[in-house]
This record gives sequence, C-alpha cells and structure tokens, in this order.
Amino acid sequence: MARSLKKGPYIDYRLDKKVEALNDSGKKSVVKTWSRRSMISPDFVGHTFAVHNGNKFIPVYVTENMVGHKLGEFSPTRNFRGHTAKKDKGKR
Amino acid sequence: MTKDDCFQLGHITKTHGLHGEVVFFLDVDDPDEYDDLESILIEVRGELLPYFIESISINRDRAIVALEGVDTIDEGKKLINCPLWMPLDNLEEITDPDRFYYHEIIGYQIIDEADGALGTVSSVVTMATQDLIEMNYKGQEMLIPINSAIVKTVDREAKALHVALPEGLLAVYLSDVNAKPDDADPDEER
Repeated sequence: MARSLKKGPYIDYRLDKKVEALNDSGKKSVVKTWSRRSMISPDFVGHTFAVHNGNKFIPVYVTENMVGHKLGEFSPTRNFRGHTAKKDKGKR
Repeated sequence: MTKDDCFQLGHITKTHGLHGEVVFFLDVDDPDEYDDLESILIEVRGELLPYFIESISINRDRAIVALEGVDTIDEGKKLINCPLWMPLDNLEEITDPDRFYYHEIIGYQIIDEADGALGTVSSVVTMATQDLIEMNYKGQEMLIPINSAIVKTVDREAKALHVALPEGLLAVYLSDVNAKPDDADPDEER
C-alpha cells in the first residue's frame, strides 16, 4: 500500500536539517547518510550524498529526475558491475 | 578479434517479421550515428561472429536490421539476447574536452581543482541509476559520480581528468566507514 498523502514524503529529520543548512549557506559539501529510506525532495537537487550501502558509502549526485525516489535506490547493496564497462557513452 | 578490442553496442532483443529481421537495442548516446552501419560482430556462445548488414532502420534506441545470411524467423530467433560488438577502431574520435568514452579514461590521472592530483582511474562502474569512476586514493577505493558538475574536462594529451570534487568527498573515504556522524540518532539515521 502506498504511503498516505496526508503524511507527506518521509525524509529523515536530521538529513532534512543538514540539507536545509547547506541550502541556506549555499555550500555544496557531501552529506554522509545511512538513511536509505529517505525520499529525495527537490531541495536535494545539486547536492552530493554519500549513501551507505551496508558496506561502504556510495556517492550520489542528485539530479532533478531523481526527485521522488529513495536515496537507497542509488546505492546498490550488491556489487554486480555489469558484463562490460566498455560502452560508447560520453559524458553529458 | 577479442572483446578487449571491441566495445559493446547493445544486444538483440527480438525478431521482426517472418524474414529473419531482428531488433537491435542500441545502448549508446546517439543511435542515429549508426544508421550507415555495414557490419557488426555478434557474440554467439562466447564467439564474436561478423555479420554484414543488408538494411537498418533506426527508431530512437531500437533498430530493425536485416542481416546477411539470416533469412528466416528461426535463424533470427537463435540470435535473441546476443550482445552486439564493434571494433574500437570504428569509434568516432571525440575531440570535445567535455566528453569521453568510458574505456579511454582508464589509467588517466584525476586532478581535483582544490587538492591537485589524486590518483588514476582504475575502472568505470556503470549502473542503471548513475555511473561512477573508481580510483585508488591512499589505499582506499574511491568512487566519483560522473556528472558534468563534478567531472569537468578531459585532457587527452596529458592523460588527465579534471574534476571538482564536492567538499568532504575525500574525507568520506578516509574516515572510518562505520563511524556514525556525531549527531546521528541510531533509530533515525540508520
């Protein structure tokens, strides 16, 4: 069952506070978090989070299309790295 | 030719029609660049087999392709899920300093705007959600998200990648991984 709309999205209170402080100061420092269940709010866009995957921190640079997803979705807990690293892909 | 000399272009997803045409999934930035493809290497049971292309019609990241020697749906079915490869020599050279191929930056020196040279790229980790550069920094495996805000330019002559790491990223890898921040509440942060 989906989370009640009345409650709004779940965002860890401390994490939200840290992001708010960063936005107020205009800084872009990395926020270390274990809160994989927190939803990415529009305030998170442009910040980098180090999201713990149970073993180590995976850096996640938040972009607009990540809003509404949970932080944990971007920090895989298993280390499957694909069949090949050679792809015709450029940055941007 | 081995896979080390090639890059993966995509894979075959299904057959199309009854005359052996197949559908390619092209896992590339700009599929339209491949509309004049004449041949392709298809990995069948671990071997790279060359196939000539009779016709190709590209629609976004899918292409309907007629391969020479594949004339029936049954022959086409045998190729479903087979990876598609191309020789590295066929890749268009990128001169733009903002873009790079993932395989070409392996071994490049990473230079941060603030901290200078950090280490060399050991691999690029591709994930569904984001791609990461893996490097060794002071004996620790370090990951850097590939994003235009962080990875700035590539200097091919000097074999260097210029990055602007967000403040505190290096410290994340040098600090104790399991140490929680001072203000973390075990019930809320974990």
